[in-house]
Amino acid sequence: MAREQQLTQVFVEVADSLIDDFDLIDFLQRLSERCVELLDVAACGVLLADEHDVLQVLAASDEDTRLLELFALQNNQGPCVECYRSGQPRTNINLTDPGVAEAWPQFTPEARQSGFVSTNAIPMRLRGKVIGALGLFQTIDRDLSEADTALAQALADVATIAILQQRTLAHSETERSQLQYALTSRIVLEQVKGILAERWHVTTDEAFAAFRAYARAHHHQLSVLARRIADGEFDTAQIPRTAHH
Amino acid sequence: MISDSMAEVLRLLQLDDGFDAAAEVAVRAAETLGVDGLTVSLATGGEQAELVWCTDEAAGQFEDLQFTLGEGPGPDAVRAGAMVLVPDLAQVRAGRWPALTTESGALAVCAVFCFPMAIGAIRVGVLTVVRRTVGPLTDAQIGDAQVLAHALTGRALGATVLDQDKAPLLHAVVHQATGMVSVQLDLPLPQALLRLRAHAYSSGRPLLDISRDVVARRLRLDLNGNGDGNPLPVSDKD
Repeated sequence: MAREQQLTQVFVEVADSLIDDFDLIDFLQRLSERCVELLDVAACGVLLADEHDVLQVLAASDEDTRLLELFALQNNQGPCVECYRSGQPRTNINLTDPGVAEAWPQFTPEARQSGFVSTNAIPMRLRGKVIGALGLFQTIDRDLSEADTALAQALADVATIAILQQRTLAHSETERSQLQYALTSRIVLEQVKGILAERWHVTTDEAFAAFRAYARAHHHQLSVLARRIADGEFDTAQIPRTAHH
Repeated sequence: MISDSMAEVLRLLQLDDGFDAAAEVAVRAAETLGVDGLTVSLATGGEQAELVWCTDEAAGQFEDLQFTLGEGPGPDAVRAGAMVLVPDLAQVRAGRWPALTTESGALAVCAVFCFPMAIGAIRVGVLTVVRRTVGPLTDAQIGDAQVLAHALTGRALGATVLDQDKAPLLHAVVHQATGMVSVQLDLPLPQALLRLRAHAYSSGRPLLDISRDVVARRLRLDLNGNGDGNPLPVSDKD
């Protein structure tokens, strides 16, 4: 598909979601998938700063735990945290460069082990303040162009808007509360992955796939359904144990 | 970044060894946050809450009222796991908390700010600060309050070491392991996290490693009979 066509699709999808009652984590995960397609990268993640100014993973193009862990590693080193602190994008960082490995001794080998050769970080901005970062990974030697970077920035801005647009259980009006709700939702989701994996004797990744397929098919918000499951208010026997895509 | 005076409050909190002896810490915290009253309520299961810190009568009465009525910024913050900020109670949309709005009129509380003490679906309680005058908290005060709520969460979960423990909580795998252990041992999520911590402590291994082993099903924690919080035995690897 031509990029212009892809872009149009993303635009329609984003507009559709934002005027509706959407689930933030699910939205950001889809947005991450679109980033991967549009920017021709291998993986994308959305990171948001918590009250300690530490970056937490909100969503990634692939819910695979290993990828989530790689993004989580960037809480104290790597391009995302530098981008968050400086407010400037960090693009086309070569992970095979010994200087890079020296600067980020934990992050670089882990990223290399996952097959990534380069990485980028784009700031998520809110009225002059940086609230998080978009992380992009590449498995082939291909630089992001200036146009790619501009597009990545636009997608990062969409992620910020979505965070501020989500409807929370607290009906909160303030930005700080929206950010906290998003971070809490992510943690609940992880706890529920564990609960379902153990109930069903499957891996956490398989549990999530089945859970998400069910939520999407029945128009449940992921975050709301996850809270109900964690609180024992939802009979998980209703959820088919294998994901149907 | 937290303020110097909140850093001092947290230091005092570390030194103190129980919620009972914390009255002075609570007063210092209220001063630091620039509020007239501060309360901490612990969730006791269901919609109930137990008041453990209270620096001011009006604040305590307001807190009692919200949890008796089951509505208000406090219960909302607990339910959602997100702060609820009400800089002017008189301006609250009609119908949001109808009973509370009626009943709280007699109390000298004009602004109220509630910060959840929680780790995802693990709801420990809520930190509430009130003012007798109308007006918002500053960004810095909100940041301070969030950090205090986080420290109190750690305490309530029996961790005196939550500061060092901050990093593992960033990892999805720790929360996944908490969920798994809660099913394996038929425990609520808070107790499941305590089990994981206890095992990490007794085995001298990081919580992150223990969690990875649990999620990969290389390790299965045991309830060990009476569940008295003793170090947990480890069953054979499967």
